[in-house]
Order: sequence, then structure tokens, then C-alpha cells
Amino acid sequence: MSVKKQVSENSKNIEISIDGRFDFSLHQHFRDAYANCKEHGQIFTLNLAATSYMDSSALGMILLLKDHAESHSGKVVIARPSESVNKILEIAQFHRLLTIEQ
Amino acid sequence: MTTFSEKRHIKLALVVDDSLMQCKVLSVLLKEEGYRVFTANDGARGVAMYIKYKPDLVLMDINMPIMNGYEAARKIKGLSQDNSLCPLIFITSMDTDQAFIESIDAGGDGILVRPFSPNVFKAKIKSIQRISDLYGQVKTLQQAQQKDAELAEQLMSGVIEARNFSRDRIGIIRQAAELFSGDIQLTALAPNGDVNVMLGDFTGHGLRSSIGAIPLAETFRAMTKKGFSLFEIITQVNHQLYDLLPADLFLAAGFVSISTHNASMYAFNAGLPDGYLFSELGEIKYQLSSTHPPLGVLPNLLPDSQLTVVSIAETDRMILISDGIVEARNEAGEMFEFERFEHAAKQGVLEGNVSKHVQQTVNNFCQDMPQEDDISLIDIPCGGWQQLLVGSHDFEHFPDKLLSDTSIKTLPAWHWQLSLRGKRLGIINPIPMAMSQINEIEGHADHWQSLYTILTELFINSLDHGVLGLSSELKASADGFSEYFKEREHRLRNLEEGFVELQLSHHPVPNGGRVIIKVKDSGKGFDITKYYKDRDVDSAAKLKFSGRGIDLVEQLCDSLDYQENGTVVEASYVWTS
Repeated sequence: MSVKKQVSENSKNIEISIDGRFDFSLHQHFRDAYANCKEHGQIFTLNLAATSYMDSSALGMILLLKDHAESHSGKVVIARPSESVNKILEIAQFHRLLTIEQ
Repeated sequence: MTTFSEKRHIKLALVVDDSLMQCKVLSVLLKEEGYRVFTANDGARGVAMYIKYKPDLVLMDINMPIMNGYEAARKIKGLSQDNSLCPLIFITSMDTDQAFIESIDAGGDGILVRPFSPNVFKAKIKSIQRISDLYGQVKTLQQAQQKDAELAEQLMSGVIEARNFSRDRIGIIRQAAELFSGDIQLTALAPNGDVNVMLGDFTGHGLRSSIGAIPLAETFRAMTKKGFSLFEIITQVNHQLYDLLPADLFLAAGFVSISTHNASMYAFNAGLPDGYLFSELGEIKYQLSSTHPPLGVLPNLLPDSQLTVVSIAETDRMILISDGIVEARNEAGEMFEFERFEHAAKQGVLEGNVSKHVQQTVNNFCQDMPQEDDISLIDIPCGGWQQLLVGSHDFEHFPDKLLSDTSIKTLPAWHWQLSLRGKRLGIINPIPMAMSQINEIEGHADHWQSLYTILTELFINSLDHGVLGLSSELKASADGFSEYFKEREHRLRNLEEGFVELQLSHHPVPNGGRVIIKVKDSGKGFDITKYYKDRDVDSAAKLKFSGRGIDLVEQLCDSLDYQENGTVVEASYVWTS
């Protein structure tokens, strides 16, 4: 279970990947991954390819990231959610709030 | 809060050593530190003394007759109360790693190896006492917090569960992962006899996730009671939670309104797993999937949001669940999933107790695995909700002989009217306003429920058939109602002109009164004579998918007259106290 962060050379693209379960225990790590990224127009890609499970507090954490990105004119893209994680995103109808790339 | 040890001021120490000399030396040092000292010369006697005096500190030798120090330490630590650590220090001359490790394993909190100076001894006692005090503080705080949480939970369930409608007929599972459940189930009765039900799941669980529950319950109940439609309630709840909660806290919720009257269910799912409509044979008739993000995420509902309308039979059951059920895990890490749930729910429907059967099946599946999330379900019977409405008294036979129709010709005690035009007709629901006028002027009373039904039916008829020009023939099949509802939504959205005018007048008489309701619309009207003739034919042939509303109004009213080519309807309702 971990949060990994990669920043592109021009620092416009920030990729955050979550391994294993994405739940409240990652709260602090997840926040730390984006809190200092305050440049204008950054794109935060949340890579969920290796995420096995996600609970509702994880959905809440994604909304906080969305708020952060949008307050700096940036955006959040969710990338490659696994089948079970996608099911959770679908129930929460998150595709109507942000971009989800399969 | 004062604990026993604080009350008695003088601290007690117990020295357990088979050497009388050692006992004496340690006693002197302890007394200098303000302790009152008891001594025992073997382990067994030490345990007995511990039970008798409940000391604040134990000093223990290792090698002793009858029972050695390790065994005595294990016994004492097994006995010590939750609230105090009762520090235990081994005093020994065995300066080996093994002795040290065994001392700690036996439950010792420290070890002191002879020889030591009196000052080293006293410093050790002080340090161990400091840890012990800290432990006591933590325990006390923890208990205080637990008590507060229990109290808050009692208040919460008092506000939420105790005030739910029909707790005997609506099945509920409410199994919280912590003391506080982040899940909430609400049921309330609308003035027209519809039953509104909500199952909600706040983000996470515990106290943090239940702060939104009380305002949510209040809004849901008050708006249902005042006669707002389910969609208006959902819109308001979303708005309220968006204002109230931080960005990462929201409510996944399913809403259902059972209308026996229309043989339909109105439903909305914002972020919950699928809800299920079961027939009495346990077949899945409809699955209510989420069509909206959870409530409290967006400032307003998405523009294309609307209720789903599903035809129901009286024997159907509608079931809503939170994700805690389908995501419950067993020891092998498998989830309960939808397939197991559907099977368990079907069995429950057949056995006549859905909540009990599902709860048992989930708990058998999970065995002793700790529960990770709140588990909740609500099971609503679709029939048997017929409400007893107080019909109008026959004005001709009113008890007071002094009365005649002349009282109607006099000026009313009060008159209220509202005319809604164009777009406003699609946005504003005038019925709660009218009811609130009546309740404010005449006070709350049971017979106003009938008035609510009369007002609602007449207003909806004028709006639907008059202004929107919808034909009730659309409703002529079992699924027609949902078609009708869709078309109605569509026309309401695009409504630019037309009006409906509502008028209420109250003519009080001794011990009662007469309310005259007049509704006028901008529609084309209809052939009143033909309408009555067709209706008689239909009712003889029992072709009744529409017109139930008007039948009910006629039963409730003293009189009902269509005027001006059907563009005006006037009803009279007489009540006695």
C-alpha cells in the first residue's frame, strides 16, 4: 500500500499512483503528494492501475485533489482504474465530475 | 472525575522478597519517598497481598520459595484493573540478559540490578511512577471520550431512528462498524399518504461521518410532512449538505417514494449500490442504479437529474443497501458481492423477513472477521399504506340547524390565492405554501391531510391536463405511468406560458368550518358532460388506470363542480372539530 508521485520535466504533469488499497490510511501521504504542487494549470493524473480497492473516503480524497487542482486552474484525470475500482467510480458517477481514462 | 488512588493521597507499595533484610532496606527507601509499605516473603503471599491492598507499586524479587517472582508477576498483571498500570519492578542480583528478557516477558515494567545506590533506586521509582500516572490519564480520557460518544449516539438514534415512520413494517439492518454509524435510514409519511424512504451512507464511519445526520433527518422529515415532492427534498438535501460539509465528506443516498395511489414508485439513486424491486416470488423486477454523484459534492443537482418512476404491485418489496454489505469480506479476503446479496434477499423475500435473513447470511459469511464498514439495508413493502383520510361532513346534515348555505354567501373569514404563470409553474410547488397558510391560521389538525390530497389532485389535474395538455390516456397501461411522467417532465421544462390559479376561502361555523377550493387553469377545458359519461362506462368496465385521483377527491369532498368548460373546478370540504 503506497502513494507514488512522478513529476514531468516541465512540472506540468504530476502522476500519482496508488498501490493496493486506497482508503483513509493513505490520507496524509496522498495529501502530501499534491499539497506543494501550486503551479498554474497543472494536470494531476491519478493512476489507479495497481489499486485493488477504494472506499468512500478515497473518493473524498479525490474530490479534495480536484478542489486543489481547480483552485490553481488545473485538472484531475483518473487513469486506468481496475475493474473493481471502476465499479466504485461508476456507482459514485465520478465520470460526471472528472475525466476517467480507461 | 476523581479516582480511588487520587482520593487516598498516600501511595501504597508492596515489596515481595524472601530476604527480610532486603524487605527492610527497600521499605526504608520507599517510606522516604512517601510510600506506605507492605511486605510479603514469597510469591503466593505477594499475590494475596496485592489482591488485598491494590498497591500503586510492586517491587518483586525473582528467586523465592513457593512461587517465584515471574509467576507472581504474571498473576498480578493478570489481576490488575484496566484503569491503572500498577507498575511492577523486578529487583535482582542476576545481571544477565536472560533475567532481563524474562522479567519483561513476565509483565515487569522494569528491572533494577543490585547493587544500586539509594539515589538510583529513588530515580527509578520516580520514572516508573511518571509512566504509571500517564497511563492513568490516558485511560481516564479514553473512558470519558467513550462515555461522551455513547451519549451522543443515544441522542442521535433518538432523533433519527425513534422518529421514523412505521418502524414495524419497514425492515432495517443497522450494524455499525464503530459506535457511530455513518449510515442513516429515514422514513416519513407524506400528507397524501405516500411513504418517503431514504438510505444514506456518509463518507467513512464514526463520529466524523455522522455530523450531517441530524440536519439531514430534520430536512427530510419537515419537507415530507409539508408535502414537498421527493425531487424537491433531494434538491434541498443536496444543497444543504454542500453548504454544511467539507469537500471530502458527502452522502451516497437512495430515495424512494411509494405511492399506493398511483401504483408507482418514484426513486433516485445518488451513489449507492443498485437497489432492488422484488416481486413476492423473489424475482427481481427492477434494479435502481446510481445515476448521480453522491449528494453534497455539487452545489446543485446535475441538470438532467430526474426521478425514475416504476410501476409497483402491492405485494412487491423495494430494498436499498449500502456498500458495506456487498464489500463485507470473509477470512479469505473475498467480498460478499451482489450475487450473494441477491440470493440472500430473494430467500428473505420468500421467508417474509429480508433484513433478518440478509444480516444472518452476511454475518455467517464474514464469521469473526472485524467489520470494516457500516452495514445497512432498508426493506419497504410496496403495499398496505392506504391512509385513513377524514372525509368531508355532509353540509346538508351539519349538526347545527342554524346553518344553511347562506353562510357561504357571507364573506369568508379569510381568503388566500396564488396565481403561478409560465416557467414558475415548473419550479414552484404551491401546495406546501397553501398548507402552511391553513396550518398557520387554523392550527394543525388531522383533517387538513384530506385537504392536502384534494388540493394536490386538483392542482396537478389543472397543470397536467389543462396547462400541459397531457392526456390521461397515456396512463392507460401498467407501464404507462412512467411514460406519462417522462413526458410531463419534458413539457414542464419547456413551459413558457399558461397559468394555474389557486384560491382558498374559509367560512367558519360553530365547531367547524367549510373550505372552498377553487382552481382555474389556462387550458382549453373539456366537455364536462362527456367526461362524466365516459367515466361511468369506464368504472363499470373497471378500466381504471387514471381518474383514481378524482374519485378520491369526490369521496373526500362535500361537493365538486366543474365550471367554465372544465377550466375551473370548485370543491367544498366541511370539517368539524
